[in-house]
Amino acid sequence: MAEKHFIVIGNGPAGKEAAFTLRERDPESRITVISKGRASSYTPHLLPDLVAGKIQEEDLYGCSLNSYAENDIKLRCCQEVVDLNLLKNEVVLEHKEVLSFDGLIIAVGGTPRIPENLLAYKDLMYTLKTLEDAKIWVKKLQQSESVLIIGGDLTSLVLTKALIHLNKKVSFILNEDAFWPLRYDDDLFKEAAQRLTDKGIKVLYDRNIKKIEQLQDGTNKVQVDDQVLQVGMVGAFFGLVPDIGFLAHSGLRIDRGILVDKHLNVGVENIYAAGDCAQIYHPDIKDYWISIGYENARMLGRTAALNLNCGCREEEVKPESIFEVQGININTTWWTEF
Amino acid sequence: MKSNDENDNSVVYSTEPEDFYYMDINVPCQAACPALTNIPAYIRALYEKQYGQSYEFNRMANILPGILGRICSRPCENKCRHGESELGQPVNICHIKRAAADLQDKVPLPIAEDLPTFGKKVAIIGSGPAGLAAAHDLATIGAHVTIYEAMDQPGGMLRYGIPEFRLPRQIIKAEIDRILKLGINLKTNIRVGTDVAIEALVDRHDAVLLAAGCYQSNTLHIPGEVLPGVYPGLEFMMDVCKDQPPELGSRVLVIGAGFTAFDCARSALRLGSQDVRICLRRTEEDLVVTKDEIFEAKAEGIRIESLLLSRRVIGQGKVEGMEFVRTHPGELQPDGKRRISAIEGSEFILPADTIIMATGQKPVPFDIAARKDDSGIPTADRKTYQTSMPGLYIAGDYLSGPSTVIEAIAMGRWAAEKIAEDIIGRRFRELAVRMEDTQITDRQRAWDFIPRQEMPTVKPIDTRLTGMDGEVETGYDSRMAEEEAKRCYLCNLHYEIDISRCIYCRYCIDVAPRDCIKLVEKVETNEVGAITNLVETKDWEAVNAVVIDNQRCIRCGECMRVCPVDCISVTRVELVEKMAQSETQNG
Repeated sequence: MAEKHFIVIGNGPAGKEAAFTLRERDPESRITVISKGRASSYTPHLLPDLVAGKIQEEDLYGCSLNSYAENDIKLRCCQEVVDLNLLKNEVVLEHKEVLSFDGLIIAVGGTPRIPENLLAYKDLMYTLKTLEDAKIWVKKLQQSESVLIIGGDLTSLVLTKALIHLNKKVSFILNEDAFWPLRYDDDLFKEAAQRLTDKGIKVLYDRNIKKIEQLQDGTNKVQVDDQVLQVGMVGAFFGLVPDIGFLAHSGLRIDRGILVDKHLNVGVENIYAAGDCAQIYHPDIKDYWISIGYENARMLGRTAALNLNCGCREEEVKPESIFEVQGININTTWWTEF
Repeated sequence: MKSNDENDNSVVYSTEPEDFYYMDINVPCQAACPALTNIPAYIRALYEKQYGQSYEFNRMANILPGILGRICSRPCENKCRHGESELGQPVNICHIKRAAADLQDKVPLPIAEDLPTFGKKVAIIGSGPAGLAAAHDLATIGAHVTIYEAMDQPGGMLRYGIPEFRLPRQIIKAEIDRILKLGINLKTNIRVGTDVAIEALVDRHDAVLLAAGCYQSNTLHIPGEVLPGVYPGLEFMMDVCKDQPPELGSRVLVIGAGFTAFDCARSALRLGSQDVRICLRRTEEDLVVTKDEIFEAKAEGIRIESLLLSRRVIGQGKVEGMEFVRTHPGELQPDGKRRISAIEGSEFILPADTIIMATGQKPVPFDIAARKDDSGIPTADRKTYQTSMPGLYIAGDYLSGPSTVIEAIAMGRWAAEKIAEDIIGRRFRELAVRMEDTQITDRQRAWDFIPRQEMPTVKPIDTRLTGMDGEVETGYDSRMAEEEAKRCYLCNLHYEIDISRCIYCRYCIDVAPRDCIKLVEKVETNEVGAITNLVETKDWEAVNAVVIDNQRCIRCGECMRVCPVDCISVTRVELVEKMAQSETQNG
């Protein structure tokens, strides 16, 4: 019998965990990880600590390339999947190579979302998703004493902690998208705003950003409704858009991410999704949910791999712990730990 | 059957099934257009700065290029080969159409005095896209056409269902005026069925075409649907288009997923609502509206809520919100849509002051002595458009249910053809595949990498939300139009290797940008003789031919340039309408 070929698309926390779990459970199979990124792999959840100056760049790197070789996992870096053919169980790479698979785990990451009405100011807003993003924050913060954060998600809050650590003056606009899938209402806004205010952060009650322009001295003039602010930097945290454009013609069910069942299966035999791209209905919040944070991503990657390899193993949906990330309870009150 | 052009022996017209099959497969944009618009031809004409010619290539098939260039649903772009996975994004075919209309030098149309006449009278009920298209074709061949329109302006849904910021009124007026100049008599403010009976029209005309559209909003049959603050989508849009919009609250939920839902939502923003959300049963990915429409709606501040199902309208005496449940998309159904099931126990409420139900519409029943469906709607044969009442035909949305403008136009034209065939006893047009040897094009490989030219729009966003009449999309200038036109592969060029002269050097394969030239052992054909499959081989001894796979070919011309024996030829193949050769008798 020919060896099975498992492909994992994505080499972030979910993809990496999936690949190594597959190897752990199946010493004989052929495993290929396809990554858009470069070979070096770092732990993204530590990026705010890098911005804060609490760690150095080398502290980000956890998994050496040798570990892939030692586990007989073929890592293809700087390669992009552009199509998935479900009829033939093939993925098409940008350089036109076609790879067949017996099992597939889609664990691609996401790109920071900039809302359509703010795209014109994209170049003036900074995100924090990659090491390059973190380096820009470090560099720009050397000349900036004040920062306007638009957000409310875990990354924006952890970054805000870093900014306080650096004694920067922080203003905050709580953004509805950052709270998805939670219902954003006045009560939620008031509670989150109070907690931020208690830490000395100025929370803006006006929320409609009308214009951002860069002044000659490098600072930014931001018009928020009828109010004008002048800040050194603007941080944008509107959530992530999963990088799943390549699935547009695949026939998979796509919403904000790839819709998966409780086993992380996409509705097609032997194809699973995990991490930032997997969207799952969560009965406790009565809504769909996409994994938040490093540990969740790893757990989902592992679950997908186990299910692919061993049949259905239910994802451990524990209402109190599924949103538990690095010790911070982010279920419906993640900002309370702020 | 194949025949030569009377004036040009290098041109051949074919009505062979295998040639129609070839066109279906190899010129997918034209095949996808319900009106069979010759898309590669009009794009090429525009590239050559023949704007009037480009407009005419459109007008001959779809009648209303300036209108469609703004609001077409663009089925062609979904099939454009430039959108294949490794080839980038589809050509902005629709925007090029608009550019042709914007930049044309107003080619004069024939006027009534230029046209033949044969003394037959046709009445058309409704001046929407289907009615106008039918009127155009029937007038062109010499019928006396009268259009009866219930509203005070012609255009149907174009005028009363699409907001002015997407479709300026002067564009509608200009293109309808051109049609009316063919000698068509337009009678507005006459509601057939009330002001005049259909039977009376049938008595006075040789044929009557009922193209009255769909003007009755669907209801969801959920509790609370009649509370003040709930508006049917179509009625809302018509009030907006008549400049009589209702008072809206600050928070608006629009239920629906079609163009009307988006028009309602974008209109609500312009009427002063602050928080406008479009609520979908399925996902944003499943929307049939164009990506541009979705982008502009979001840019204006509209939120799209997916995977939810309306359960009941909440409120005491007026709307206070809507209760939804989450949905789960299941397996694909025969119509290509996924089955949607509610997730029980997932109930939640979204607050709202106004709810607009844009969940489709249906025809208004007519009380006439013709066969009707269970809802009291007169029915007609889908091929002949005839009803059970002699002389009465039905076309457009009234027959098909809500469709797109281009579908309605196409059906109006087919119905006109059937009517003409019935009342004058012969067909006036037929489809044929026109083939003409041509020189290699000047298309350059570098053009494949030109990025899609996005439609310029009014910015900053706030400035477009101050009224209903400012057109959001401002149109390509000639430079942008030319750049976008360059992107078209011109799939209507057929590349072929003359195997009797091929020396099997394989230079062409070496320069091919993708696997479009194949070493073939066998060519498989179907029952009409059309090529359906090329059986490739890697065994040199088994190779029987080197074949260009026109389904893979991107018409870069590299193969032709390197061929040492000049055995590669190019033929321009086009699906065209021509005057019918044979006469058929009525009945």
